[in-house]
Amino acid sequence: MLQYIVFEHPFFAATGFLYGAATAAYAAAWRSTRVAVGRLGTALMAAAVVLNVSLVVGRWIEAGREPFKSLFESLVFLALCLGALYVVAERLYRTRVFGLPAAVMTFGCMGYALAKWDAEIVKLPPALQSPWFMPHVMVYFVGYAALAFATGVAVVQLLASRFPWVQRLTAMRAGTMLTGQALDLDKITYDVVRFGFVLLTLGLLIGSVWAKSAWGDFWVWDPKENWSLVTWLVYGAYLHLRKVKGWRGDRAAWLQIVGFAVVMFTYLGMGMLPTAEDSAHVYTGQ
Amino acid sequence: MSSSPSPAAIVPSPSSTAPASASANGTGASREVTQIAMLVAGVVLAGSGAQLFVAPGPWALVASAVLAGVAVLALGFIVPGKLRQTLIGFRFVASLLIALAVAAILGTLVLQGKPEALYRQRYGAVGDLIVALRLDDIFHSVWFGGLVALFGASVVSSAIQRWPVKLRSSGFFVCHVGLITSLLGAAASSTLSVKGRVDLHAGGESASAVAVTKSASGARVVPLGFALRLDRFDVVRYNAEYRVAFYAPERVKVGARLEERWKLKASFDPDLAKHRLPGGDGFRLKAIYPDFTVRPRPAAAGAGEPALEVTLDGRSQWLFPGGRLDGAGGLAVLFDRAMPKAPDVPTAVLVSADAGRALVRRAGGESAVRLEPDLHLADGLVRFGDLIPAASREAEYTTRSTEWRNPAVLLELREDGHTREALLSAQEGGALRLARAGALVFERRDDEVKAFRSEVTALAGETSRKAVVTVNDPFSFGGWTFYQANYDPKDPTYSGFEAVKDPGVSWVFLGFALICAGVAWMFYVEPRLRRGGVKRAPAGA
Repeated sequence: MLQYIVFEHPFFAATGFLYGAATAAYAAAWRSTRVAVGRLGTALMAAAVVLNVSLVVGRWIEAGREPFKSLFESLVFLALCLGALYVVAERLYRTRVFGLPAAVMTFGCMGYALAKWDAEIVKLPPALQSPWFMPHVMVYFVGYAALAFATGVAVVQLLASRFPWVQRLTAMRAGTMLTGQALDLDKITYDVVRFGFVLLTLGLLIGSVWAKSAWGDFWVWDPKENWSLVTWLVYGAYLHLRKVKGWRGDRAAWLQIVGFAVVMFTYLGMGMLPTAEDSAHVYTGQ
Repeated sequence: MSSSPSPAAIVPSPSSTAPASASANGTGASREVTQIAMLVAGVVLAGSGAQLFVAPGPWALVASAVLAGVAVLALGFIVPGKLRQTLIGFRFVASLLIALAVAAILGTLVLQGKPEALYRQRYGAVGDLIVALRLDDIFHSVWFGGLVALFGASVVSSAIQRWPVKLRSSGFFVCHVGLITSLLGAAASSTLSVKGRVDLHAGGESASAVAVTKSASGARVVPLGFALRLDRFDVVRYNAEYRVAFYAPERVKVGARLEERWKLKASFDPDLAKHRLPGGDGFRLKAIYPDFTVRPRPAAAGAGEPALEVTLDGRSQWLFPGGRLDGAGGLAVLFDRAMPKAPDVPTAVLVSADAGRALVRRAGGESAVRLEPDLHLADGLVRFGDLIPAASREAEYTTRSTEWRNPAVLLELREDGHTREALLSAQEGGALRLARAGALVFERRDDEVKAFRSEVTALAGETSRKAVVTVNDPFSFGGWTFYQANYDPKDPTYSGFEAVKDPGVSWVFLGFALICAGVAWMFYVEPRLRRGGVKRAPAGA
């Protein structure tokens, strides 16, 4: 399979390789005292994102439609959203501490996309030919990427409070810290979840408006709709609980991880539901 | 760079510093938790009890939500104590959101809205319990309505708490007003909307009523108030495609058994590039024939039969004894050992291999010439190439035209250092099996549906309006909206529409807009306004 991918789909192979290399470089940056190691991670990640953009655009042109129809296509797009969001976050928070979890997730997306490979490009059925299709998917996937990133931060937060070596390695390793200032992981998670929640809200509402224009109902309690609502409700609960005493720090981090598990189930787990046969949203095909 | 020890770069978890302050409010918090548990459990239990006497449905949901919501709100304002504080508390809202999430999850674990018999058949004894607790229609149940009521009461209380609204904190208020607007719109939609079917035939009778499929009133037929006519219906399809497909066997679980099925693993455009297959083998197409045919061609041999190369209408072909080539305008070329008999066509060019002569026969007479290479006859329409006196026949693959009428490809497979060729036809099927598991096939992809397109006319007295209805592009007229919903592959004139009249949807969408604006304002504008206020404060002091 690998020969086939490298020969027939070199952009995909190169993107996956770069995400893998970025993972290795960011992992090394956690332990290294050399600035160059961290910079290499950033450079590899940025290069992977650029290639990922070309991969998505190329697919768009080849398919003659938005490349979000199949699970494979959505995973490649999710990798792009995650990678791009991480690069922005690295600039914003001036740290490479989260490079490793972000790179692992992007590499994981590409790896899973490989497992869910599209044998061929499928056509867009009439129901998906809507001006709402692109904003709905894009908003959701940027939101998913934000929540994935927040999960990475929450994991680092939980590890740092339990393992001194994580606390130490995120302290002043030249490759990871750019500012020398303390990182408020709890606040970073909260900021990113807020961003993700705004996008989840937009995505949910755009989906509802789209459903109305396609089927005449803005809500039909379809399993996928329900789980999208569940993700919104869980993150709504997270944002409200943050205002309650005792619900910051580790507890909030665990709730964020639970929220992301719900997001992942909404994205990938619909086929496991006994009501999946009634859903108009479950990914089919590969 | 130095790796010298430094202060911890991660701010300690707030939870590790919080317990002292949290314990100070421990009693209040535990009272709040108790109140929340009693409220949520009470509503669910009361709703479940009421469910024994009230069938689930839009009215049950809305009535229970409104009654319970008003009751809780009233209690919050009338009864002194902590109830109102609980209602507007973040802990209460979070608990309700989780409770609603659990209900939504439950609705995806248990089939919804199916006939009662199906639950017994599928779940056995538990099926009866599901029906008894009305878990078969959770989202129209009284207890679910109760949870929505608590949520509504909490949202209303919280919004009232923020009154009068200040610009700096208006996001929360706008967002919560949006939630209430959407909930009220959804309630109106649930109880007042009418949904049904309109089935039409192109050129057939107009429809003036809707066969109702969903209405809280229970009406079966509702008049449209105008006539709707279908002028034309088209199923628009994508262009057909041909692909070189690679299949590999895969074990699939069918019931309790494992069966081997061929699964599409990779697919390639029919081009002349070299390709690699999953598994490492490779192939290329040596030739692509859009309109495949087999023609004989001579192979040089010491013995055999004569063969003549003829070009007619730009097409070259080898003719063997008894061969014939027809061109435009009733022109035919016939070749044989002896002079062939003239066919009944306006112009015939007859060629004898033994005589080495060609005869052009027309209505006005005939003329004979000696056969030579590059000889042009019949006003230059026919050109002769080589005449081979003794040749054996071999088959030549070629295409009749550039139209994709009978596509085939000549495929060269490379596996384990060896190559072999195969002709694969899309029409006749056939596969090239690989030594390793797998097979290559040249096949046509079905013309998938691209769009269902209905041209309709709405007629109301003197007024008429034409529109095109497609999926995702409905047509609204006279308070009704028509959605493209059905077609019949056996009846190309038929088109089915979903007709919807929904007075609540505008309020739902208005609520959506308010929620989006409120959330964005709350998270991204208010913090800036507050920071601006803090910075300005000393200057103003």
